[in-house]
Amino acid sequence: MSNKKLTIKRLGIFLGISFVPFCIIIPVMWACFGEPIYTSTDPGVMTAVYALGVSGMMIPSAANLITRLVTKEGFGNSYLGVNLKGRTGWWIASAAVKLAENAIIMVLMWALFLGGMSFSDTFVSPGMPVWGLFLLQLAGSLILFFPAFGEEWGWRGYMMPKLMEIMPKPAAIITGGIIWGLWHAPLTVAGHNFGTDYPGYPFVGIGLMCLMCVAMNAFLTLLTEKTKSIYPAAFCHSVNNNLSTGVLASIFCTETAAAKIAGLPPVTSFLPYLAIMAVTAAVSMILLLKKPKNAETE
Amino acid sequence: MPGLLYKNFRINRSSFVFSLITAGLCGITAVLLAVFMGGGDSIKDSSGAGSVSLVFGLLYYLAFMLPAMTTSMLFEADENKTCCAFAMSVPQGGKGHVESKYWYILTDNLVVLFVLFISDTAASCIFGGKVSSSLTLVLLFCWRLLLNAVEIPFIIRFGSQKGIAIKGAVVGLIFLAAGIYFLFGDISWLINADDPAAAFIEWLSGGDVIFWAGLFPFFSAAAYRVSCIISVKLFRKGAENYEQ
Repeated sequence: MSNKKLTIKRLGIFLGISFVPFCIIIPVMWACFGEPIYTSTDPGVMTAVYALGVSGMMIPSAANLITRLVTKEGFGNSYLGVNLKGRTGWWIASAAVKLAENAIIMVLMWALFLGGMSFSDTFVSPGMPVWGLFLLQLAGSLILFFPAFGEEWGWRGYMMPKLMEIMPKPAAIITGGIIWGLWHAPLTVAGHNFGTDYPGYPFVGIGLMCLMCVAMNAFLTLLTEKTKSIYPAAFCHSVNNNLSTGVLASIFCTETAAAKIAGLPPVTSFLPYLAIMAVTAAVSMILLLKKPKNAETE
Repeated sequence: MPGLLYKNFRINRSSFVFSLITAGLCGITAVLLAVFMGGGDSIKDSSGAGSVSLVFGLLYYLAFMLPAMTTSMLFEADENKTCCAFAMSVPQGGKGHVESKYWYILTDNLVVLFVLFISDTAASCIFGGKVSSSLTLVLLFCWRLLLNAVEIPFIIRFGSQKGIAIKGAVVGLIFLAAGIYFLFGDISWLINADDPAAAFIEWLSGGDVIFWAGLFPFFSAAAYRVSCIISVKLFRKGAENYEQ
């Protein structure tokens, strides 16, 4: 079997194992609870959804592990090394870029949706308790690192290198992002991120999720490729999940502003987020395509 | 580095298994507690949640601190001139040898954190999301990192016995300071509270305390890195004191 065919076969097995669990579990849970599980306000359902979220994020890692064992691929290019030396900047960027993105998103939210409120009415003056809450929330990303690693080791640690083997990098980023977004489709249909009450449900939600995943995939792939390690991407993913707009609003905004942001339709509040991530994605793509200096001299 | 890390896991298999078992037992106990308490229905208000969080915090503290007692074993095995000479002769040198110990301890800590994260998620689900100790877990993880950061340079320079004694003294001093505060400081907020557990949690999450608590994980991470740099510098000098 040629190398390309073998890669496609391995990718097929990986994607099969990754996609099947959600496609079965979500409809079963929906049928059991009798409502879209992510929009439920019932504590029992919310608890089940939390458990599903944490365990579900481990599925791509399990798929990576199983595929490597089944196809006897081994763990030679597993991206599990740390490779800190000479790449510290990329490690810092994994958290710093997300934090900068979030800061810009908060200002954009204020400018676009809270125009009637002054800056001082929107944001609290950041004293020690506010920074303390923020730092604690940021440190809490460490605990979300495990589920984030679960996704990253599968998508960036297995799928993306395989895709980049069989197609050019830009095409791989877009294809990988769409696959990642479609993996979320059962969750999106069940109300994850956008609820179920929006025009064009569920296709608009799935489309937006795919766009977000393409944008995020560019930066996460850049981190993984530059460090040859999966941990910066996992940390970036955990910061992204842990410091959502709602969480930041509850820390840095006044009660009125936070309530207004929380009351925005999810699809609407998602757009500034997507716009900023698109900028990061464009820069990431340029950096990813740029040849390293030593390659030019060779 | 992977080779040195593998060596550390091989020679410290028993203490690694001990870490896993302790974390597993504490995690299972937390889940069983949640089950026997009757889940979320047993928690009527925030004070009930505060009390459960404190009990969980103590359990998780045990899970982190019992394995921490075996840290010195990691160094004891290499505390002789032959081992040190061998460590310095390999391509990574003494630096790689010391850094591999730090990576091993960090990995060991992360494994404990992962086991406790899984059990805390299960317990939190049983309580219907009313109790979650994930931040406590992060703070305990950082506390153990900080203790290791203090202890290891002394172990490397003066040997494991003195290292243990110095770590004991540091922990003792911290507890003594806390004891003095609770004996002579203004703790009317705690004594006069209907539910001291809830009042304690409120004290931790209010005012300037939360800022220092928020800064603590970053401080301990930096301390761990600085400790590693210091230990690398002390290694050669420490090796001169070892017996053949």
